[in-house]
Amino acid sequence: MTLLHRRLAALLSGVIVLALLGRAVAFPVDGDKTVLPVATELNEDALDKPREVFQSERTGAKSYLVNLGDLAFNSPGLLGEVARQAGVSCGTCHVNGANNARFFMPKMSSRPGTFDTTGPLFNPKANNLAFDPVRIPSLRGARYLAPYGADGRFASLRDFVHNVITNEFAGPEPSPATLDAIVAYIHDVDFLPNPSLGPAGRLAGKITEAEHRGEALFAKPFPHDPALSCAGCHVPSSGFVDHQQHDVGSGGLFKTPTLRNADFNAPYFHDGRFDSYNQVVDYFDRTFQLDLSAQDKGDLVAYLTAVGDGVQPYERDGAGATLKEINDFSTVLATAIPAGDKDIVALAVDTIGRELRELTEQYPDRKNTSVSGGEQQRVLARNGLKELVLTLRRIEMAVAAGRNADAATELRNYRNLMAAAVPSLLASAEPWSLFNQDVHDRHYAALRQVMRSRHISR
Amino acid sequence: MHKMRVAACLALLAASAGVRAANAGALEDGAERYRPYLIEGVASALEGARALRERAAAADLPGAKKAWLSARAGWERSEVFTAGFVPELDAQIDAWPNADSGFHAIEAKLFGAGNTDVAADATGLVEHLNDLHGKLKDITLTPQGLLDGTVRLAYEVGESKADGGESRISGTSLDDMRNNIAGIDFAYHTIFSTALNTVDGKLDEMVTNRIEQLEAIVATPDLRHVNIADLRQTSEELVIALQSASAKLGLQRPTLEAQAR
Ligand code: HEC
Ligand code: HEC
Repeated sequence: MTLLHRRLAALLSGVIVLALLGRAVAFPVDGDKTVLPVATELNEDALDKPREVFQSERTGAKSYLVNLGDLAFNSPGLLGEVARQAGVSCGTCHVNGANNARFFMPKMSSRPGTFDTTGPLFNPKANNLAFDPVRIPSLRGARYLAPYGADGRFASLRDFVHNVITNEFAGPEPSPATLDAIVAYIHDVDFLPNPSLGPAGRLAGKITEAEHRGEALFAKPFPHDPALSCAGCHVPSSGFVDHQQHDVGSGGLFKTPTLRNADFNAPYFHDGRFDSYNQVVDYFDRTFQLDLSAQDKGDLVAYLTAVGDGVQPYERDGAGATLKEINDFSTVLATAIPAGDKDIVALAVDTIGRELRELTEQYPDRKNTSVSGGEQQRVLARNGLKELVLTLRRIEMAVAAGRNADAATELRNYRNLMAAAVPSLLASAEPWSLFNQDVHDRHYAALRQVMRSRHISR
Repeated sequence: MHKMRVAACLALLAASAGVRAANAGALEDGAERYRPYLIEGVASALEGARALRERAAAADLPGAKKAWLSARAGWERSEVFTAGFVPELDAQIDAWPNADSGFHAIEAKLFGAGNTDVAADATGLVEHLNDLHGKLKDITLTPQGLLDGTVRLAYEVGESKADGGESRISGTSLDDMRNNIAGIDFAYHTIFSTALNTVDGKLDEMVTNRIEQLEAIVATPDLRHVNIADLRQTSEELVIALQSASAKLGLQRPTLEAQAR
């Protein structure tokens, strides 16, 4: 999970680095534009995060490698300087391994949920000098979805990830172990379960008439191109793909995207041009002269919606969810400390410490005017989180100095704090935290109001 | 033989008690040496606030902005003290985001809306600062309180402020950080360094080194060149060193939030 507000706000300082905006603006709004596109939550932490489901958790616990990959995936330290400075990690765009449909960066996005990976921001050398943002894809079930990239330019996930790090984000060459870990993590991020899907991608359970008709239509050859059908490309199977690239008239060759969990993957197509299944179906109807009736279209949409569903796509963000993620990250330390693995300990301390500092900000201090009450609870919550940050730093210092036993002692302290004391302090302070909807709304309304005053003056 | 051992022990005890007492004396002397710096910082904030009130009354926007910046700098330099000793006032004067009084309320009008309609706020600020300034010569400056303030500020300096933090509007964040670090530097070297050096020279060296590192990190032309990761790491190492120092100085372990004791 990433706390979006700071990261995205900070990201804009990244945009400023390239002087794209001409002058330093401290608020993430394009120079003369005061309004961001609807549905953009640029400067606000979303309270709902995509739910992450791990394949390995169904049968047991996640492995060290998967946790390490998850950690690296959420670490800005993995990427190049601009991203690092802005606090951007893989997880900023692929929140919890899904897509961040609210992501919008002036000059780098055409609409929310898109990003120009060959733009000038993170690696000028990778700049193709064209404004060609693409949709940020969900990575759920990515292991079924080779080749990678909307145009399918990489057959191997490992090569794709390597390219993202070293080319798109100008990061340092990752160690083979780190790369393995990220790939293991992505492989473990599963589709959300969908009880309406049976074996071989057939609808199962309670199915409506419309869904039934839609399923049949989906498999029916196109009237003017009998070699084609929806199902011929989106093959009903574990991934609903054919692993091929096709030209469906959208501007080039693109890989068939999955339809699983696709209800949550809008905007659709490589460039995110469509908002809804209705628009997609209309597009195919026009492009391939399918002569679909209004009912046909409705049936296809009903079918797509049934196939694209998933159980509990979002979960409420709160201290609990953040602590769970942090605890998963922290398991890495139990292996890396005895091994005296300085790099991994440093990565873990940096990433977890950053998350803890961001979590601290969810409990406003006394200077914050949008919250009143619960002052003592907030103080104790903040204090507890700060103690954790420092305990982690002591671990890092000890390992760096070769004092692994001291580090192990500190890790025990850290775990004790994490086991009971800190969760209960956070729970007591929750009503006055930004996890509380009212407090959250008041805080961001206040911020927006202040920032707006800046723009009026322009 | 036995008696001699007891005597030696007693002598040792007396000696160590002496060290502690001498230490405490040294720290208190240090706190007194800190007082003029503190008074000077608050005085310069007060002077800035008065100029601000005057420039605002004359509808002189550039002049008012300049005065605001100068008042702000004096305040930030004193934050070691304000965070530890007058947290209530600190919260009032530094309230954000939509404060109806204090620095940020005035900032929003001057630097945001671009108007000088801040008479009431400026007057309030002058009153607060004037009050505080009047109290400073008699206020008890405990070494513990000053160490607490130093440690809290050292931690806060590591907060990522690449997005402009609290002072997004005037863009003073980098100056805020520099002034905070200058305040830490001065407080540490005036109050604690000598005493710590006599009991643990290495630790004193470590603290000094981290403060210097912080100064180097913020000696960049602008905020976006501040290495955020280094800043955070160094700030945390400084806090840890100061926490270790507290024990050696016979002080309590500093807490990281005002009121958390
Ligand atoms: C600034 C936003 C952003 C960040 C940060 C980011 N990605 Fe992506 N990611 C995208 C976009 C946009 C695409 C689509 C690119 C394309 O189709 O060519 C993508 C595509 C992918 C894909 C291909 C998925 C598929 O099914 O084809 C993978 C895998 C991936 N990213 C992994 C990562 C990893 C690992 C990181 C961190 C090292 C990362 N991404 C960081 C935006 C981002
Ligand atoms: C020739 C292969 C092919 C056929 C036939 C085909 N599709 Fe697709 N489909 C694609 C490709 C390729 C894309 C991505 C286009 C792009 O990214 O520009 C796509 C995109 C989509 C999407 C958007 C998914 C997303 O996440 O962006 C949906 C929904 C979809 N198709 C449904 C259908 C339906 C319904 C039919 C039948 C009416 C159909 N497709 C027929 C290849 C095909």
